[in-house]
Amino acid sequence: MEAEQELEVLEHFHLNSLVDIRLGWFDISITNLVVWMFVGAALFLLIFYLLVIRPKLYPSKRQTVAEMLVEFLKRNMIYNMMGKKNGEKWFPFVSAVFIFILSNNLVGIIPGAYTPTSNPIVPLTLALIVFFTVQIANLRSGGIRGYARTFAPRAVPSWMYVLVTPIEIVSAIAKPFSLFIRLTVNMLAGHTIIFVILGLIIYFKNYLIAIAAVPFAVVMTILEIVVSAIQAYIFGILTAMYIGEAVNPKH
Amino acid sequence: MDTQTAAVLAAGFSMAIGSIAPAIAIGNLVGKAVEGMARQPEASGQIQTAMFIGTAFAEAIALYALVIAFLLIFVA
Repeated sequence: MEAEQELEVLEHFHLNSLVDIRLGWFDISITNLVVWMFVGAALFLLIFYLLVIRPKLYPSKRQTVAEMLVEFLKRNMIYNMMGKKNGEKWFPFVSAVFIFILSNNLVGIIPGAYTPTSNPIVPLTLALIVFFTVQIANLRSGGIRGYARTFAPRAVPSWMYVLVTPIEIVSAIAKPFSLFIRLTVNMLAGHTIIFVILGLIIYFKNYLIAIAAVPFAVVMTILEIVVSAIQAYIFGILTAMYIGEAVNPKH
Repeated sequence: MDTQTAAVLAAGFSMAIGSIAPAIAIGNLVGKAVEGMARQPEASGQIQTAMFIGTAFAEAIALYALVIAFLLIFVA
């Protein structure tokens, strides 16, 4: 059998450290994940800045796009789930989460880029932030008794507390966990399919496979763009929903 | 049958069987959403929002199966 070269199809998913910075135990070296995270943020800032430069009272067409984005965040995501008063308070946090995830997801479309949200660490951190935010918002809005009441809602007859309370506790942990898993596996699976299908061309060492593989990869990339936007929207709206549950006055 | 073969086989089964229920769920969900939008086009926006949220929940279940498949292939 002839010698085959080592085919690492998923090598785009490897983290290469570009600049090693270590502080004791902490390894904050600049890997390609960090580079592409900054590229995503810089691109979004640049595009948004170009959209809102020189604002007028009667908005020009590009200013309308930026206003549409903010309006969409406010109306569909936050005021729907949280009401107007709480919405004003929580608007920066939820929109920051949404824009961060959107720009990180979309940066993966660039060929050769590393999607920061495909590494489990980034969505795990975001999910932990949302988890602690929801719990602390719960505590602040109700006190200790109000917090204990969320695990034992009033509408349930007393003998069912022994059933409902463990379910509520598990669901309080399962909701951020599902947020994290949903985001990371959606990003991971989409890119894995594209890499594997394009890797088939190299595996068979035959350019005829490209006639079938490349259109399929194009379609999967378009699907990946749609899935990126939808997953960012889902994360944002679920965050707004959980915070809305915690912050609104309970019956 | 050694461990590696059994793990890969189990990964295939996990993804195949674990995708049946979410596919049925999403199909039902989108069908009902389209029906609702056809009955009352003014409520399209809200129905669309609810449909996307429901699809994300149903899809997450399929993705749990995918996570198990990944774990089986790459760690066992």
